[in-house]
Amino acid sequence: MQLFMQQLVNGVVLGATYGLVALGYTMVYGIVQLINFAHGEIFMLGGFGALFTYTVLLPSGTPVVLALILMLLGGMAVSVTAAVIMERFAYRPLRGAPRLAPLITALGVSIFLQELVRNFYPAKSPRPFPQLIPPDYLINLGGGVTINAPKLVTVIAAVVGMVALSTFVRRSRTGRAMQATAQDPDTARLMGIDTDRIIVTAFVLGASLAAVSGLSNGLQFGTVDPRMGALTGVKAFTAAVLGGIGNISGAVLGGFLLGIVEVMATQYAPSPLSGGAWANAWGFVVLILVLVFRPNGLLGERVAARA
Amino acid sequence: MSRDLSPKSLLGVAGAVATAVACFLPWSLYAGFPGKMLNTGFPGGARMYVLLLALAAVAVLLLDPPGRVRGMRGAAVWALVISLLTALLIGYAGGGLGKVAAGAWIAVAGSAALTASAYLLDSSSDRDRRVWSLPDADWRMPAEIVITLAMAGLALYVFVVGLGIPTSNVASGPDHTFRDAISLNDVTNGSEFLAFLFGIIGLFLVAGRIGLTASLGAITQRRRPALVTGATLAAIAFPFTQDGSPYALRIAASIGVFAAAAVGLNVVVGLAGLLDLGYIAFFGVGAYFAAIYSGSATSPIHVHLPFFLVIVLGALVAAVFGFVLGAPTLRLRGDYLAIVTLGFGEIFRISVNNLDGQSGPSLTNGPNGISNIPDLGLPGGFSFGDNHHLFGVPLPFQANYFFLEIVLVAAVMVAFLRLSDSRIGRAWVAIREDELAAAATGINTTRLKLLAFGLGATLAGAAGTVDAHVVKVAAPDSFTFIESTLLLAAVILGGMGTVPGALLGASVVYLLPEQLRFLHDLRLLVFGLVLILMMRLRPEGLVPSKRRQREFHERDDRSGALDPPPGAHA
Repeated sequence: MQLFMQQLVNGVVLGATYGLVALGYTMVYGIVQLINFAHGEIFMLGGFGALFTYTVLLPSGTPVVLALILMLLGGMAVSVTAAVIMERFAYRPLRGAPRLAPLITALGVSIFLQELVRNFYPAKSPRPFPQLIPPDYLINLGGGVTINAPKLVTVIAAVVGMVALSTFVRRSRTGRAMQATAQDPDTARLMGIDTDRIIVTAFVLGASLAAVSGLSNGLQFGTVDPRMGALTGVKAFTAAVLGGIGNISGAVLGGFLLGIVEVMATQYAPSPLSGGAWANAWGFVVLILVLVFRPNGLLGERVAARA
Repeated sequence: MSRDLSPKSLLGVAGAVATAVACFLPWSLYAGFPGKMLNTGFPGGARMYVLLLALAAVAVLLLDPPGRVRGMRGAAVWALVISLLTALLIGYAGGGLGKVAAGAWIAVAGSAALTASAYLLDSSSDRDRRVWSLPDADWRMPAEIVITLAMAGLALYVFVVGLGIPTSNVASGPDHTFRDAISLNDVTNGSEFLAFLFGIIGLFLVAGRIGLTASLGAITQRRRPALVTGATLAAIAFPFTQDGSPYALRIAASIGVFAAAAVGLNVVVGLAGLLDLGYIAFFGVGAYFAAIYSGSATSPIHVHLPFFLVIVLGALVAAVFGFVLGAPTLRLRGDYLAIVTLGFGEIFRISVNNLDGQSGPSLTNGPNGISNIPDLGLPGGFSFGDNHHLFGVPLPFQANYFFLEIVLVAAVMVAFLRLSDSRIGRAWVAIREDELAAAATGINTTRLKLLAFGLGATLAGAAGTVDAHVVKVAAPDSFTFIESTLLLAAVILGGMGTVPGALLGASVVYLLPEQLRFLHDLRLLVFGLVLILMMRLRPEGLVPSKRRQREFHERDDRSGALDPPPGAHA
């Protein structure tokens, strides 16, 4: 039982990373129906932005809390800048193009960003990430189940991110404009909503959350790598679809579910299908099963096809 | 002929003449520069492309076709880019701008004048492009056939030239600072290929803007038998142009497999409109099936099946996978299906990675894959591993596989064309355009979508069995998500729903990273950039289907009628 609970905690932690990145996918998809495959790279850029802030910009001896805040801001600045440029120069010119064209653009952007960091970020791989929150600081959750500090931060960040985002989308003026644009861009424009600005806002919000995830991922694992966005991106997109794409709570729920399934399958799946080698496959198996029985994802609403 | 003798056009003519003359003069005083840049009288190396672009620009300027100024701009800018880049690289490689001969500078000045002229002229007076056709005379049909065959020959020529340009003979200059970093040396080595690439882009722009591409497309479409004959002859002729060198043949054979898979994916994505992000898995099923039953020593099953049986069975096994995956998931809409196929692709990759006898049953030899797949043989004792001489030309054994590829691609193409012209194909297109409306007209959408999915998987499986023998190894790394997306990129870059599009797209997607190797680590970066730019410039693909072209055209007309003319108000 203790093992089970411990694995549950580990799954939640893994899921928190997926969920934070999934929020970016789900928001952009909800508004422009674009699978932004480059979003995984935005997550990666967030990690590198934070690392750059720490190693290059911050003087040594900066207090930890201040350093973390500045690293977060640095990571966000890089992620958001990349996302805005990407939206403006790669995706926006393709509105009205055949549906699949932006997908190839997304692929191109993804390769481009990955290679850009790989080739031009100073210092070679693997790049150590400062362990500002000591990973050996364990917090006892009772019954022998523990969680270390960086992981706890990740989970808190995911929950706070989701709550803040859904409050923003439901309550603020801009958030309601986002909902309107998602429902019907043409009518939204007629109501005086600047849809271009709303789309950029979605990219900016998604990128900010991805940067949070990039930073917490670095704190957890102690390294960043230019290729880390690819798999996380695919997983996060899976999480978004699992929860019902376009649905904010669904993205985080999907993230947690995916994380828990992967961790549990590693531990409990029948041999020889258990162990780390099969973990990724189990995540996709669950995705396929969920979609067979709930074609619109866990929290997705059944939308009537628009003529 | 235009009577436009304004100073602006005269500047352009003067620039073009200067550029053209300069192309017959030596450009380099440094002998180590790649491409033949030293001699007088023959425009070797990059000079050839500058010359062609200058001639195209001045021809467009003087003949005044529709789209005149914009066409001229396309040629002029790229002529300037090539000549300037080449001049600077000669200076770099030779160790100083003194090594750049006068010819290069004249070409730079001339193409700059040409570019200036093209941008000074007013493009708003351009007439809309139209489709040209030959006069309705007795000689029209033979002339069209000749043009069609010539296009096939030209395609072969461009392919051979592009593949034949060496990109790695190291010129002198500072040594590499560290391994795999790019230096200007590498760019120098690749300069002739870059000139070729930019030249093609420039000429393509001109031809597109004055309506030549559309006209030639219309002619070749009308003469389909001639097109098929020409393309087949060109493909068969290719190994004979290589003078016994296996390098290009190996690449061409791989392009063939890639193209066959792209045509298969075109059934699923281009015709039926189902976004499949895990298509490579079906290809992998075929490849692994062939590898396991090839008699390779690394295969855990020591059974050697004859190849023709393997193709059929491999395709069937892939089809079974297609139907099994498709049956429960095809009722998902659009992008949900995309993620399921992506998931399936990953499951496949992870499975073959793990079926090594430790993490799972012993079947695929794990991450190392099944290697040393023996050469194919024909019943008459013919082995695909033998070199041959034919008509006095040495053919390395890779040519055998290349010919096998031609058969495969031809078979897949025939399947695609017969399907797309059939009742089934039209139903697929109807589903792609509007599934509800298609269902309302009595089309059984689920069954047809499943059929598209299954047939696509079958074609991929067949291509995979051949691939295993061409590359002689089946390993998990070849069947990753990125491979699926590259196949998709080939289909979309080329133009959805057309065979020439898929072939062209496959060539670009495969060939470009291959010939960009001189960029070392930067080649993928450049490739990503190229994908972005191509989608931005031609979102409908290089060779869009007629139906799609018409859609775009109609939209242009409509927006022209409803929107205010550009610049009417701020």
